[in-house]
Amino acid sequence: MAAVLGISAHYHDAAAALVVDGRIVAAQQEERLSRVKNDPSLPRQAIDACLALGGLRGPDLDRVVFYENPYRKLERILVGALGAFPRGARFFRRALRDQLGDKLWVLDELAAHCGVPRARVDFVAHHASHAASALDTAPFGEAVALTIDGVGEAESTAIWRPGPGGPEALTALEHPHSLGLFYAAITAFLGFRVNEGEYKVMGLAAFGEPRFREALDRMVTLHDDGAFTLRPDAFGDHLRLDRAYGDAMVRALGPPRDPHRPWDLEATADRHYADVAASAQDLLEDAVLGLARAAHRRSGARHLVLAGGVALNCRANARVLAEGPFGRVYVHPAAGDAGGALGAALLGARQLGDTPDPGSFTPALGVRVDPGHTAAVAAHLGLRGERVADPAADAAARLAEGAIVAWVQGRAEWGPRALGQRSLLTRADDESLRDVLNRRIKGREPFRPFAPAVRTAHAAALFEGAPNDMTPTMTTVCRVAGEGLAGATHVDGTARVQTVEPGGALDPLLEALERDHGLRAVLHTSLNAAGEPLVARGTDALDFFVRRKPDVLYVEDLRITR
Amino acid sequence: MSRLTTLRQLVAHFVGRRKLFFVPLLLVLVLAGGLLLLTGGLSYVAPFVYTLF
Repeated sequence: MAAVLGISAHYHDAAAALVVDGRIVAAQQEERLSRVKNDPSLPRQAIDACLALGGLRGPDLDRVVFYENPYRKLERILVGALGAFPRGARFFRRALRDQLGDKLWVLDELAAHCGVPRARVDFVAHHASHAASALDTAPFGEAVALTIDGVGEAESTAIWRPGPGGPEALTALEHPHSLGLFYAAITAFLGFRVNEGEYKVMGLAAFGEPRFREALDRMVTLHDDGAFTLRPDAFGDHLRLDRAYGDAMVRALGPPRDPHRPWDLEATADRHYADVAASAQDLLEDAVLGLARAAHRRSGARHLVLAGGVALNCRANARVLAEGPFGRVYVHPAAGDAGGALGAALLGARQLGDTPDPGSFTPALGVRVDPGHTAAVAAHLGLRGERVADPAADAAARLAEGAIVAWVQGRAEWGPRALGQRSLLTRADDESLRDVLNRRIKGREPFRPFAPAVRTAHAAALFEGAPNDMTPTMTTVCRVAGEGLAGATHVDGTARVQTVEPGGALDPLLEALERDHGLRAVLHTSLNAAGEPLVARGTDALDFFVRRKPDVLYVEDLRITR
Repeated sequence: MSRLTTLRQLVAHFVGRRKLFFVPLLLVLVLAGGLLLLTGGLSYVAPFVYTLF
């Protein structure tokens, strides 16, 4: 019977998660509250929010668990820098500054912020945190876990089986051989920001042909046992602070793309970069599939769970389910480093004798909205705020008319996807609305896809392979098979569908849309503009409404118009 | 005192991993840690760190 707080911080996607008596009570990413995208700082606001949601104070915590071993990470960085001396002198100085300045003392800072004795603050391994986040929230047992990211302390990839004390490692691959770093290099080569633009590479890939696959195969070797090796001169090592790709990649693929030039996929130059994206995506999918097969051979498990940043690659996940040996595949919705906070809390709970309860997991674990406070602020801003008796039916009517609706309901989502709690919605059957949403409201690249949301009961009729264990949290793609989804279908004929169970945040709205207007799907994207964190609080939603000008905003039963 | 715990864990980690070639570096880290304890903030320590490295 313990209250355990898990923390991720100091790399990217800082977050806090609270587990009480084995039940998942709260989880919150710092960026949603600080309004700094991918905020890596110690998640003080997220910690305070989780404690408030759990009705606890810091000293009530039995354990605070950091999501990785800071000493082992320091060792990897120092060994890497010293091994390359004197070439890595600049990196060495920066690493020491970072480590001595903040990262080494993270456990002390957590103790001080939470008001707990230092002895109650501990750490677990990075990839073990990822594995626990997936194994202990999956809707099924008998699973093996595959964790894939850039790098943790030293590991980039690991296979885990569940054990009584938490995940037990079966095998691992170490940095610099890393699929996360491979995809990061391609992301940087294409002119996108690393740790932010990987989604864009995945979306762009559908516009290209994988004609550079052979060239990439000379940079990344996939072995028969599922392992892989990266050729050092094709990738920027950690000693290069300015770029993630190496000279060999530039020689093979040509000059990297100018990040400041607008995209034009009709032009030859950008078709070239789309082909690079398609080739990298093709290689990544084959690599993840190889790892999944290796996990099956080693464990004999019937099902697979995935975590780590690479597990957010929906197209790779879809291929693992379709072509891999597993009956069911689940991805933790916060598969990136934020999810490590929840995994750390779950591991800490096990260490204190509690058994995590997967049934307590829902992606709606973040802060609540306050419609009363939002209404007061809206009035102060000169906006019209009215309470409506049936916001779902009211919003459905607006959607049917072709409006763009901002939809804020209940507690905020955990993970990078909006899942109906903080969403932007419009009709799924109108391609022109998609373009308005992309350019005017979201302000992002024209090739970025949108997702449809449908009630689970309709999924099989509208999509091939849906529903499955990934569709409720939008961590896979399915081929579109039904009508009325033109605006939400990507150029390759797939969609990152969300299936909505009865009682889900979007269920009343989808029910009203079908009942009153004959529409079975809604186009669905996150309530934020390009480069911004997802909205969390009602005031953040008002800020978005004023700046980006969707037609109407609903905060619970409060309808905001101009 | 909590920072002494961190320094103790740091030394134990490197000794446990038999990374003995880090001993000189660890001595510097301990020195920097001690300065942090005494001064209560990094701003006083940073010039020493930059001078050393």
